[in-house]
Amino acid sequence: MRSLLLAVLAAYVVASIHSILAFVNKRKALQRVSHWSLFLGFILHTTALIADWALDGHYPLFNLRETLSFLAWTLAGSYGLVLYRYKAFALGPFTLPLVSLLTFVAILIRNAADNGPEPGGFSATWLFPIHTTLVVFSYAAFFVVFVASVMYLLQERELKLKTFTPAFHRLPSLTTVNEIATLAAAIGLALLTVGIATGMLWSSSRDGFLWHNDPKEVFAALTWLLYLLLIVYRSTAKWRGRTAAWLGVAGFALVLCTFFGARWMGSYHVFG
Amino acid sequence: MSIVLVGINHKTAPVEVRELLAFSEEACAAGLRTLVDGEVLREGLIVSTCNRVEVLAATAAEHSREGSKRIGEFLAQARQLPESVFRDHLYTHHDEEAVRHMFRVASSLDSLVVGEPQVLGQVRRAYSLALEAGTAGRILNRLIHHTLRVAKRVRSETGIATNAVSISYMAVELGKKIFGALKGQSVLLIGAGEMAELCARHLINAGVSRVLVANRTEDAACRLAGEFGGEAVAFELIADSLSTADIVICSTAAEEYVVTTEMARAALTRRRNRPAFFIDISVPRNLDPAIGELPNAFVFDIDDLESVVSSNIREREREAERAELIVASEVMQFQQSLRVLDIGPSIGALRDKLQGIAKSELARQRSRLGPLSPEQERAIEAMLVSTVNKISHPLIRRMRQTYDTDLKAWGDTFDVHEPAQETDMPPESNLDY
Repeated sequence: MRSLLLAVLAAYVVASIHSILAFVNKRKALQRVSHWSLFLGFILHTTALIADWALDGHYPLFNLRETLSFLAWTLAGSYGLVLYRYKAFALGPFTLPLVSLLTFVAILIRNAADNGPEPGGFSATWLFPIHTTLVVFSYAAFFVVFVASVMYLLQERELKLKTFTPAFHRLPSLTTVNEIATLAAAIGLALLTVGIATGMLWSSSRDGFLWHNDPKEVFAALTWLLYLLLIVYRSTAKWRGRTAAWLGVAGFALVLCTFFGARWMGSYHVFG
Repeated sequence: MSIVLVGINHKTAPVEVRELLAFSEEACAAGLRTLVDGEVLREGLIVSTCNRVEVLAATAAEHSREGSKRIGEFLAQARQLPESVFRDHLYTHHDEEAVRHMFRVASSLDSLVVGEPQVLGQVRRAYSLALEAGTAGRILNRLIHHTLRVAKRVRSETGIATNAVSISYMAVELGKKIFGALKGQSVLLIGAGEMAELCARHLINAGVSRVLVANRTEDAACRLAGEFGGEAVAFELIADSLSTADIVICSTAAEEYVVTTEMARAALTRRRNRPAFFIDISVPRNLDPAIGELPNAFVFDIDDLESVVSSNIREREREAERAELIVASEVMQFQQSLRVLDIGPSIGALRDKLQGIAKSELARQRSRLGPLSPEQERAIEAMLVSTVNKISHPLIRRMRQTYDTDLKAWGDTFDVHEPAQETDMPPESNLDY
């Protein structure tokens, strides 16, 4: 298992390095290497997750190590989708290193003794894995929104100031990043909505409460509201472009708070 | 074999001289036949463009100097000029320098605007003329194929040809940056200056599908609209058309702002804040510069475009330095491959000859050896071959190190001659790099 994850990490690292080199040198051959090693890494990672599930007997998305690994997997998958749909290679140098880092940390934690509470009580119901999976996928979508928004802001600024850095010519067009951000935000919001709903259902079936005033729940609700605002304003077109892009960045800050921050504020939620 | 290049370009000669020396395609084909006499100049190729005339030839090494003189004479004769008119503007390169020069020309490192792509096509055309005339042989085939490969490598590995270096093309590049593909976008031309027309033409080539033309004189608007397959718009109704146009190009002789901030703001609102790209190439300016402060509006005036263009030119020059490194390493590779090409057949012929001697001696003496088992027979043959190889090894090693005419002397000593020159041309598809 560990050696399989190491192979996954190696493939992701190769993919990251080649995507960065391709971004700098604009070489198609390097891009191809990056795509193929990402593809290989993703397949291996999928295998590893399935093996994990089969061996440990619970859905591989419960403690911190599993969550990080799963998050890396969803990010790699989302980047693959963006590549397939928009050919936006420029996202690679920003996404793939993060994917590699998450995988690396997941491998490090693997040996740590503290694997959190036993998940027996949680995974007993099928609602819990659905809740966590959907929420993690929505985080990946919001990360894509974040990267696309930053690209929008950088380029918009350079167009307004009329001074162009070398990165300018390597990023996708304004319209493309705008589309990516809008679509990813819509998908992320949909996933988060269902994710929160299943979480509530699960919670009410377990202890009868829909809402615990838990920090993680509060942040998740704020995140949900913010992305809803973003989508509504985008569709009425009042906040196209800059403002929407800033919202995409702010939204991701909230996502980070939901993901990490809540744990330090004493949430009863585990990761996921 | 030796490669000679004699030429004249925009750096060494003014246009008055270059135009006297320029070859049309017909003149080029005819000229090639007189240039290659089969004696001094064995192969030839002429690249003639508005910025340069280059005559490339392959000669025997001892005729290298003679060859360059002959090319000078050929130019005078072919263009019916006294040599004194252009002699001072000519440059002459031999072997390595000639190869380097060809690589640099085709990679557009020697061009007026570094990185402009046309010259590669011109080199390709010159080569196919030489192929038709039958003046491209073993050496030039190899050189030109390598040249095209180098040019492709430089293009794909450096940013020498990436960013726009003309104002009209800059409009296309910025348009693509803002809208992605230009397909389906519409452009509004206000006024009809030459530069605006050029911009519009580039934008249409890049995929812009709808053209609106507004002009104070309606006839001019209709004429231009007809030319672009677009529609004419009354000058007074610009404000309405603004909202339907993604790209606005303004170049009127008006003294005041033709599009004010208020008009632009209204248009943007009606566009539901979809981005709009304004290009102002008129002096004095016709678009209120304050439009640029509105969200989702991007305004470039002539100075902005020019400063981006000049920074792009500087960027290309930086990339050109990287390209020079590629060229340098490719020149070395080519020289190496040429050496192998020159020497390969002679060595093979020599080795065959020596082994042939050994085998015929064995055949002659075979009857004296009496009956032998097949193993013994093979062992004797192998012994002879390896003895010959071991004796000739130092000789072949020396031959690999020498070049050209010395090689002929070696060949003469052993009565071995180079096989006849390959005359078959590579298939056309090899040119599609």
